[in-house]
Amino acid sequence: MKRLHCPPGPTALRWLLAAGAAALPLAALAHTDGAEAAGFLSGLAHPVSGLDHVLAMVAVGLWGAVLGAPALWILPVAFPVMMAFGGLLGLAGLPVPGVEVGIALSGIVLGAAVLAQLRPGLVVATLLVAVFAVFHGHAHGTELPAGASGLLYSLGFVIATGLLHGVGILIGEARRWGFGQRLIRTAGGGVAAAGVFFLWRALA
Amino acid sequence: MRRVAWLLLLLVALFAGRASAHELSMAELEIRETGPGAYVFSWLGGGRVPATDELTPRWPRACRGDENWVACEGPMAGLLRIDGIGKSYSAVLVKFHGRDAALHVYPLTAAQPTARLVDLDNASPFESAAAYANLGIEHILLGFDHLLFVLGLLLIVRDRWMLFKTITAFTLAHSITLAVATFGVARVAAEPLNAAIALSILFLAPEVVRRWRGQTSFTVRHPWIVAFAFGLLHGFGFATGLAELGLAREQIPLALLMFNVGVELGQLGFVLLILVLGRAARRLEFDRSPIALRLPGYLLGSFGAFWTLQRVAILLRGLV
Amino acid sequence: MSASTLRGLMALALALVMPAAHAHLTQTGFGEFYDGMAHLAVSPMDLLLVLAAGLLAGLAGIPAARFTVLALPAAWLAGGLLAQRWPGLAGGEFIGLVPLVLTAALVALDARLRPAGLRVLVVGAGLIHGAANGAAMTAAGAGALSVLGAATAVVVFVTLLAAESTRAVAGWPRVLVRVMGSWITAAGILMFGWLLHAAR
Repeated sequence: MKRLHCPPGPTALRWLLAAGAAALPLAALAHTDGAEAAGFLSGLAHPVSGLDHVLAMVAVGLWGAVLGAPALWILPVAFPVMMAFGGLLGLAGLPVPGVEVGIALSGIVLGAAVLAQLRPGLVVATLLVAVFAVFHGHAHGTELPAGASGLLYSLGFVIATGLLHGVGILIGEARRWGFGQRLIRTAGGGVAAAGVFFLWRALA
Repeated sequence: MRRVAWLLLLLVALFAGRASAHELSMAELEIRETGPGAYVFSWLGGGRVPATDELTPRWPRACRGDENWVACEGPMAGLLRIDGIGKSYSAVLVKFHGRDAALHVYPLTAAQPTARLVDLDNASPFESAAAYANLGIEHILLGFDHLLFVLGLLLIVRDRWMLFKTITAFTLAHSITLAVATFGVARVAAEPLNAAIALSILFLAPEVVRRWRGQTSFTVRHPWIVAFAFGLLHGFGFATGLAELGLAREQIPLALLMFNVGVELGQLGFVLLILVLGRAARRLEFDRSPIALRLPGYLLGSFGAFWTLQRVAILLRGLV
Repeated sequence: MSASTLRGLMALALALVMPAAHAHLTQTGFGEFYDGMAHLAVSPMDLLLVLAAGLLAGLAGIPAARFTVLALPAAWLAGGLLAQRWPGLAGGEFIGLVPLVLTAALVALDARLRPAGLRVLVVGAGLIHGAANGAAMTAAGAGALSVLGAATAVVVFVTLLAAESTRAVAGWPRVLVRVMGSWITAAGILMFGWLLHAAR
């Protein structure tokens, strides 16, 4: 049964998101134990503390912008889940070989894809990003401060990662202007270059 | 409907007079602070039965009491309850002497057997203001009957302007009687008051039904007048919450103001919640379901009728 | 007052009320009913489930949303009261994660569920989380009134969420809802990992 709806009000959703975003961290902070609040905050802070992770996440958003819809939003929906899967492997004690190399490679490949404006099919792009997501989750999702709630830490970690995608997507909006194209490609090149540096450090 | 209103007035007039004429046998509990966290107490006055046989004080949580002394961690604060009021003694007057010779008097009855001891003498004005406001919020949030009455008003009003007028009228009215009762200008006995408040909810239920049938009535056309009239009653109800504090005269203005602010905050929160939920319910098209449309009116009517019967029964038992 | 202003005030009120609730095991000072409400607000796992269920119900359309806002709190109440009587009924966090991850994943996938499937999911999730919630509050010494309070909080929260997310019929609002579903799924999967980790 399909009904006609009025067009979705952007303010409504913004408020929904704002309320959700406001309520969850507050719920986290308000919980009985101070350590649990610390868990959420450190989860939120963790992805931002490693430059390799930050750059790769922004590159995911940028590449989504280059690929356009539907990849623009399929990537940010798929990435957190695959990253969590990587984290699950790590927490279960299953080794994933060459995690540091994989993370560095993700920077190089994603950065290069943005630089070269590569547009492979949706399936290829999603699979590629999903594989990298496993490495990121395995390396970063597993550093819980003592006494903190795993759920809140994970939530903070996922939210911060998602917001980094958002930053990439927002920068990608610059493609609407002439100079913006060049800006995005330069940013992609920068990520790739940093990736090379991280690779060298991982292998050295 | 006018007949019901007259009946209500008559009831209040009748029983208010009777109830206050009812003979009071009162016991007095004197508590005296002797040192930090140390108190002695004694029962004064009495009738045929010694007070200690029937009346048992339940001290606040951080206190331990013996036959005639109480020891507390810090100053005595929290809820003091006296069990056994209503057998031979219909009221207990608690006189609380602080070390700085400050005196607080708390009248306790079977209907309201608790006093809230707040360490107001040592509190900063800000702390005591917050405590009063908190008490106001608590009183409205736990006053299910008041909230139900406000819900009834919300179901009757048609537009925002009418909503504003109605809620303002209710607020104004209950503020007036809250002040009047707190300053001791007028009193209404608890039992007839509670019955009348229940009746006010029962009164609204048919009006809600009229409203969704699309019929009109005096209440549907002028809900603010009804809100004002019954608001006067509800204000006396709020006053019982403030009376728990046994305020000294000079504390009344601040307490009254902040308690009222607390009540309004709680009421505003409730009104906003109901409005937002109502909007969500319309969005989910609950207003197409006849059951969902009828439910609030029936809820109001059932609770109103139940409380009216229950409280009138209590009232009559008190008179016999 | 416009509707969006109201929502803003709601969010503000939520934000103001919540930090106040952190003294003991959520003592609001307003009695057991409100303690129960506050307990839900500070239980991340339950809150995330209600969030995911509300979003899923909204995406599934108005009739499904209507069912959810009635059935989820009802199941919550039933589960809570049962667990209060027999605390052994409440499953651990492992069991609670199953409906959470399932519901959130369905939001992320924007899955077209059959009505019967959605009903089973909503009622099952409500029973499981209501039972866990009720058992936790009973262990803290709270009574039936707190379970009623928690169920009332579920009513409020799920109704508002479902009503809002029915607006997300297409376009980027729907994508945002799906992204939220994906985030909750990811957090749930990672939590599963933490439980495995702790069990090892």
